[in-house]
Amino acid sequence: MTKKEILLEVCGVDKNFGVTIALNNVSFSLERGNVYGLIGENGSGKSTVSSIIAGMQEATRGEILYKGETWKPGSMLEAQAHGIGMIVQEAGTIANITVAENIFLGHEKMFSNGPFVNKGKLMSEAQKLLERLGIEGLRAEQPTRELDMQRRKIIEIAKCMYWEPDLLIVDETSTALSFEGREFLYRIMKEQRENNKCVLFISHDLDEMMEHCDKLTVLRDGVIIGTLDKAEYEPDTIRRMMVGREVKGNYYRNDFDGYGDEVVLRADCITTMEDLLCFNLELHKGEILGLGGLSHCGMHTVGRALFGIEKILDGSVTVADGTRVKNPRVAINHRMAYVSKNRDTESLGLSASIYENIASTGYKVNTWFLNLISGKKENAYVDKQVQELSIKCANKHYNVNTLSGGNKQKVVFGKWIASDAEILILDCPTRGIDVGVKAAMYQLIYEMKKAGKSILLISEELQELIGMCDRILILKDGEVTCEKFRTENVTEHMLIDYMI
Amino acid sequence: MKIQEENPFLKLKELARRISSHRHFMRLIPLLFLALLTFFFSVMTGGRFTSPTSLKIIFEQALIVGTVSTGAAFIFATGNVNLAMGATTVLTATIAGMVYNRTGSSAAMILAAIALGILIMVISALLSTVLKVRVMFVTIVMMTLLSALQQSILGGTTVSLPHDIITKLTQMKFSYIVFCLYFIVSVVLFHFTAIGRSQRMLGTNSVCAEQTGISGPKYLVLAFFIAGIGCGIGALLAIVRAGSIGANTLTSLNMDCMLALVLGGMSIFGGSRSSAYAGIIGAVTVCILNQGMLMINVDSTVIQGVRGIIFLILVYTSQKRPQGLPAPEG
Repeated sequence: MTKKEILLEVCGVDKNFGVTIALNNVSFSLERGNVYGLIGENGSGKSTVSSIIAGMQEATRGEILYKGETWKPGSMLEAQAHGIGMIVQEAGTIANITVAENIFLGHEKMFSNGPFVNKGKLMSEAQKLLERLGIEGLRAEQPTRELDMQRRKIIEIAKCMYWEPDLLIVDETSTALSFEGREFLYRIMKEQRENNKCVLFISHDLDEMMEHCDKLTVLRDGVIIGTLDKAEYEPDTIRRMMVGREVKGNYYRNDFDGYGDEVVLRADCITTMEDLLCFNLELHKGEILGLGGLSHCGMHTVGRALFGIEKILDGSVTVADGTRVKNPRVAINHRMAYVSKNRDTESLGLSASIYENIASTGYKVNTWFLNLISGKKENAYVDKQVQELSIKCANKHYNVNTLSGGNKQKVVFGKWIASDAEILILDCPTRGIDVGVKAAMYQLIYEMKKAGKSILLISEELQELIGMCDRILILKDGEVTCEKFRTENVTEHMLIDYMI
Repeated sequence: MKIQEENPFLKLKELARRISSHRHFMRLIPLLFLALLTFFFSVMTGGRFTSPTSLKIIFEQALIVGTVSTGAAFIFATGNVNLAMGATTVLTATIAGMVYNRTGSSAAMILAAIALGILIMVISALLSTVLKVRVMFVTIVMMTLLSALQQSILGGTTVSLPHDIITKLTQMKFSYIVFCLYFIVSVVLFHFTAIGRSQRMLGTNSVCAEQTGISGPKYLVLAFFIAGIGCGIGALLAIVRAGSIGANTLTSLNMDCMLALVLGGMSIFGGSRSSAYAGIIGAVTVCILNQGMLMINVDSTVIQGVRGIIFLILVYTSQKRPQGLPAPEG
C-alpha cells in the first residue's frame, strides 16, 4: 500500500487557559484521502485543537505543519484562504440577512462594484453553489430567519464548501442535523475523501464516527489516549478510552415494566399554525412516551404546544384535572417542565450563574416571612441539584456559559427536577452530550419514571427511543404513522419505514 | 481538563484572577472608583472638595438622582432602557407643586406626585406590552410628549412653593427619610423577592424566563410601577431642594440616572449583573464627578463630554463576556 501524503501534522501542541490545561502534548497527523474522527468526552480538548488548526486561537506551545510548512493562521479567514474550512459547533449564521448573504458574509467585495454590492451576482453565485452541492429546499434569496436550525447549519456547510477546502473540520455539527441533513453531511465528507482531500470529524455519536471515519483519535483531559484504525473499532473499547472507566454499550433501561392507566396530559385534536392538524396524544402516569421522526415531522412543535409555548388554533391540551394548558405558567403551575431542543437560547440564562438558573424555578417555594426569599432554603435547593447531578463546576456562582455542553444540560435538568415536576417534556435532551453524561441522563430519566413521573421524550435518535420508551409514536408530516409498544423486537428499521 | 500543579507563578496568577472575577469583588469596584474620585478631587481642590458645604451639595443632588435611578434599576434589570425617567420626574414635580399651591396640603402634594409618577410609568409600560413596541421607542415618544406637556403647562413661568413649607419639610429631614424608606423597600423587592429575581431573569434571557413561567408583561409593568414611585419621590425631593420648578429644572436627570446605574456597577443590558444598590452608589459618583469638575473649573461643555465618554466606556465594557473559566467544550 502506498503511503498517502500528509496534509497536516500536529506536533506536541499544548494549550493552557490560565492554569487549566486544555491540551497537553497533543500530536497526530492527517493524510489526504481520509476522514479522521476526533472523539472524547465534553471538555476533552477536541474543539480546542480543531479551533487552533482553523485559526480561531493560538497554541501555547508546540508546532503545526500544514502542507509541509509551519502553520500559524491569524484568523479563520486566513485559514479558509489557505484551504482549511471549519463548520463550528455553535450557530454561525445571522438571522436577519438572506441565505446568499450568509454564505458570502465577509466576502462581499467579490461582488462589489465600487461601494455597491451587486446583489444579483451574489444571489446567482449562491444559488449555483446550492445547486452544485445538491441542496434542496433552500433558495439563495430566502431570509435566514425563516429557516430552522438544521437548514441554517446546512448554509454553514455550503459556506464552507464554497472555498473547496483541502481540510474540512466538522465540529459537532451532526447533532444539529436530522436524518436528511446528516446524509447530506456524510455525502460531502465522502466526496472530500474521494477528491484526495481530508476531513477532521468531531462528534459524540459513536455509531456515526465508526461508520464514517477511517481512523479515530481518542482524547481525554487534553491528552491523546490513542488512535484506532477502522479494523480495530470496538464500541466498548472506544468508550473505555474516552471515559477512562468501563462504560458498557447498553446504558438504556432493561425492564419492560409498563405504566399506569391514568392520563396525566392529553392533546385533543390540536391544530397549530404550522405542522399539526388535529393531533391527538395521551401521556400516562409513569410512562416514558417517545416521539420520533425526521426533523420537520412536527414532533418539536408537539412538545412546544403541550407546554403552552406554541399557539394552539383549535383543540386543547389538558392536564389530569381538566385544566387547559394555555401558556407555560399554567403548565408549570400544574407541575410540568420543558427542556427545549435549543438549550442555550431557550432553556438557560447563559450569562447568569448556575445558582440563578436552578433557583429560577423555586421563587415561590423558597420563601419565609412575607414571601421573602430565604437564602438558606434557596442554597439548599440549588446545592441538592449540583451534588445529585454531579454538575462539574468550580463554584455554583460561576456563569453557566463557562460550563461544557453536558453540564449545561445538567443545569437545565436540575432546575426542573428541583421544582419537583411531575410531567417532563424533554426535547432532544441528550443532543451534543458525551457518552458518560448521556448514561447518567438515561439513568435519571429512568429513575423519574420509577418515581411515577411522566416523560415525553422527543428525539431524533431512534436507538434512544427504543432503549428508553414504554411507547413510541413516529410522526410524519404532523401525523402519527406508527405506534409501537416496548418489546424486545422493536428495531430501527421497523421505525425508519414510517418516518420516510 | 486538569489543573497544573507545579508552577507557583501560574497559581498566583490564577488566584489573582479568581479574586478579581469573584462576584463580591466585582461589587466593590464601583465603591473603589468612588473613593478614588473623591481622593482625586480632594487633592485637586486642596481639600475644598471635602468641605461640609461641598459634601452637602453632593448628597442633596445624589438623593434625587439616586431615588430615580434606584427605581430605574428595576426597568434596566429586565433588559430595557427607559429614556423618559427625567421627563416624568420633572412633569410630576411641576404638577405636584401646582397641587400644593391649589390645596395648601403637603399630603395632597405627596399623594399627587406618587400617583402621577406611577400613572405615567404604567401607561408607558402598557403601551409597550399591549402594542408590542420596544420600551425604548415608547419612552422616546413619552419623553418628547411629557416635555412638551410641561412646557405648555408652565409657559415661561415657574411653579414655586411657599418658603414656609420648604423650610418645614427640610427641617423634618423629609428628603432623607423618604429616600431611605424607598431605598430599603427597593433593595428588599429587588434582591429578596420573586419580583426582582424574575426581572433579572427576564433581562438575562426573556425566552428562557417565559418558559420558566415568568410573565414578561407582568414583570415589566411591575418594574415601571416601582420606578414610577421613584419618579414621584424624586419629584418631591426636587421641589424640596429647589423650591421651584421651571423649564430648565433637572434637564440632565435622565442622563445622570443612566450614568449612575452603569457607574454603580450595573450592566446597561440588565440581567444577572443588576443591583438595586447601583443607583445610589452611582448617583453619588455622578454628583462627585459633576461637582468635582465644576470646582476645578472644567468648562461645562467639557463636563458633558467627559460624562458621555465615561458612559460609552462603561457600556462598552459591560458588553464584554463575563469572566470565568473558558468554556471547556473540548
